[in-house]
Amino acid sequence: MSVLTSGGFWAFVGVVAGIYTILALGLQVQFGFAGLLNFGQVAFMAIGAYTMAILVVKEGWSTWLAAPLGIAAAAAGGLLLGLPTLRLRADYFAIVTIAFSEIIRYVATNETALTGGSQGTIALGSIGTATQYNGQWSRFQSHVQHSLGLSSSDATMLVLVWATAIVLLTVTWLALRTPWGRVLRAIRDDEDAAESLGKNVFAYKLQALALGAALAGVAGLFYAWEFSFFSPDDFQPLLTFFAWMILLLGGLGRVWAVPVGALVFGFIFAGTRFLDFVPFSWFASDERAYLRLIIIGLIIVVLVMVRPQGLLGNRREMVLE
Amino acid sequence: MGQLVANGLVTGSVYAIAAVGVSLVYGILRLVNFAHGDFMAFGALIAYAVNGPLHQSMILAALAGMAATALLSVALDVVLWKPLRTRRAGFMSLFLAAIGLALILRQSLLFAAGSGPRSYRVNPYRVFVIGSIRLSEAQVIAIATAAGTILVVGLFLARTTTGRILRATADDRALSAVAGIDVGRATRIAWVISGLLAGLAGVLAALVEYSFDPNFGFQLLLPVFAAVVLGGIGSAYGALAGGLALGIAQEVSTWSGFAGGVNPVYKPVVAFTVLALALLVRPQGIFGSARVA
Amino acid sequence: MTMLLDVDRVTRTFGSVRAVDGASFSVDEHSITGLIGPNGAGKSTLFGTIAGSLRPNSGRILFSGRRIDRRSAHRVARLGVVRTYQAARVLTRMSVLDNLLLATTRHPGERLTTLATRPRAARAHERQTLERAHEHLALVGLDSHADAYAGTLSGGQRKLLDLARVLMLEPSLVLLDEPMAGVAPALRVQLLDHILALRRDRGITFLIVEHDLDFVMQAADTVVVMNEGRVLVVGAPAEVRTNPDVIDAYLGKAH
Repeated sequence: MSVLTSGGFWAFVGVVAGIYTILALGLQVQFGFAGLLNFGQVAFMAIGAYTMAILVVKEGWSTWLAAPLGIAAAAAGGLLLGLPTLRLRADYFAIVTIAFSEIIRYVATNETALTGGSQGTIALGSIGTATQYNGQWSRFQSHVQHSLGLSSSDATMLVLVWATAIVLLTVTWLALRTPWGRVLRAIRDDEDAAESLGKNVFAYKLQALALGAALAGVAGLFYAWEFSFFSPDDFQPLLTFFAWMILLLGGLGRVWAVPVGALVFGFIFAGTRFLDFVPFSWFASDERAYLRLIIIGLIIVVLVMVRPQGLLGNRREMVLE
Repeated sequence: MGQLVANGLVTGSVYAIAAVGVSLVYGILRLVNFAHGDFMAFGALIAYAVNGPLHQSMILAALAGMAATALLSVALDVVLWKPLRTRRAGFMSLFLAAIGLALILRQSLLFAAGSGPRSYRVNPYRVFVIGSIRLSEAQVIAIATAAGTILVVGLFLARTTTGRILRATADDRALSAVAGIDVGRATRIAWVISGLLAGLAGVLAALVEYSFDPNFGFQLLLPVFAAVVLGGIGSAYGALAGGLALGIAQEVSTWSGFAGGVNPVYKPVVAFTVLALALLVRPQGIFGSARVA
Repeated sequence: MTMLLDVDRVTRTFGSVRAVDGASFSVDEHSITGLIGPNGAGKSTLFGTIAGSLRPNSGRILFSGRRIDRRSAHRVARLGVVRTYQAARVLTRMSVLDNLLLATTRHPGERLTTLATRPRAARAHERQTLERAHEHLALVGLDSHADAYAGTLSGGQRKLLDLARVLMLEPSLVLLDEPMAGVAPALRVQLLDHILALRRDRGITFLIVEHDLDFVMQAADTVVVMNEGRVLVVGAPAEVRTNPDVIDAYLGKAH
């Protein structure tokens, strides 16, 4: 229980919540605003993280060039996925997106020469050397820490992630208030009606998918920097489901509901990590891990049943029907 | 090549049986049962419990697995799906609820049984040789059972009153209700059949793989969904065809005659590529109905 | 009279059903044409093929001499062919005003690229659209509902909103799908007046599917009768009304 009072722990929870905010924001743009059932969001996170890591370690690029390219690669992934599949009906599209994310994970696991395979980024460099991709980032982080007078690297990362998240949230919020955003909302409401009003629905959906993917790419970058190491197993469909749960928690269709959902989720998820009081203390640690996920599954189901509009959602505008 | 086709038939049979279950439920309830893979794992594990610790024969174990899964399906309908239907939950809500359910199921299985691998008490070394094709006992059982099941299910849907009721309700739920069909009963029957098939598919898959753990359900789920979509969602016959087609395509793609063949590790990717290509050409699936504007 | 729309042997099947079977007729500019026929005659399907939401299996559709049968719905709309649906498809989860603001083509604010490169033009267009939206709302008497969710409007009000939206798009050809369905008699007169006024003042051409035969006889210059996917007869209302084949078709369906 003493962990619960440590500042480092809460900073960590905050960082994770921040990363998930950005990931879920991407999903919000795709589903909450364009009505796209993307269940493969984690794939774009992986593309962003891996692109950056590969460029830094294998090609010796500067992080400040590799990172934007990682985001661009994620967006390109969105375009690649969307072009052939966006015309499919909603349920087929959902299934295909899951398939896409599993394929990405498969490729990452098996193309060892490119990605380090199942061992993860440690194996990115030549054999025998354990490589790091965040040398430059760590230096940048220390620099920020000292300039701002922060006490720890955890606190610094917290600030960096949330500063980025807030910028992205604001930009998204503004974008949705433009005529462009209005078209997106119309598509979410009734895409055939939008089409008969002269809007090229396919093009807008593709844009939403790509932008959402780019946001996931940013989340992937921060994930990579926070944990200094990752492997294909870090990008399981489970993360996409967490992002969906965050949308459900906070409320569909509202930009500022996303950080609320993410913080609640972060609290539940990290908080349940330390269920070392009765009756949870009766179970071994791996059993407790399963229990946590059962609780999360239950929360999803209960939310869908009882409050599908989420904590902050508007029942009138409720997108879940 | 013949060996590959035979292997493909085995895999395809498992996919086909599972896919029919998914299709039936979708037809009646418009619900994409994301938890189907975990139903399969559940069936396989129950069978293991009966076959292993309880030391019963494989046949009894399989039947137990099927019955348990059917029971679970119906119970979940009462506890989860019916309340959602009463609330007029739409497609999205059902999809998300199914995902939540899948999570709960899988983690519960892991919690109860741990993540270690298990095997049934069968002889993995007994082999049947037909010409140049070698099949293990498990594989032969799988093909034979699948063929029998497919026949039974096909006849059931086509010839029996219940089967026709199921197909009618799948076609148009509202109309069926007006026509006096007991939609509630049809729903329960669909879940029972889906559960039986899921349990069977799980046991067969576990048999063929020889060793399995609670996670294997999800791995199977995606090719099964691919089979359902390929065949045309809502069409049970399509699901059968889709399952067999994908199973065979997956195995055959590794044939060295195809410029060295696909790396076997990427077999699931083959399943999806086939699906993607098929959808590009025929977006509603092989037996699916075209979207009426 | 110039021909605005030319439907040339259009066929559309769904599986084994021939919803539209070699239908041919044309619509003159500035005319009001009624499209009638018993249920299942293929009228809505035909609308779908003209508007671009359905692709004909064979045949051609020409609008001002250009083929539109292979174009997607949004392109057809931008060319000036706008359709309404039987149940007015307003965007229920958006405001009435938003519904109208969307009824504009070539708005720089609607495309990300132009939004970023020409923000002033986008703002100007938005101001313009806002003005026009209020005008059109006033035209149909819905200006007091501007900020309400379109979902709160009654059926008749939704039809008016639909009409206002259609007009904002400044179409040349309007396809009305059962405009009178579910509309109270008092409102019907209003709608009829609106349609006639629009033809007179803005030169809009109308193709109207309608079951209300009184309305069709009053409003239409030409009537096209469909049955079982085919065009039976094209002529003036009075002729069509007494045509024996037409009477057969309707009576036959009544069995």
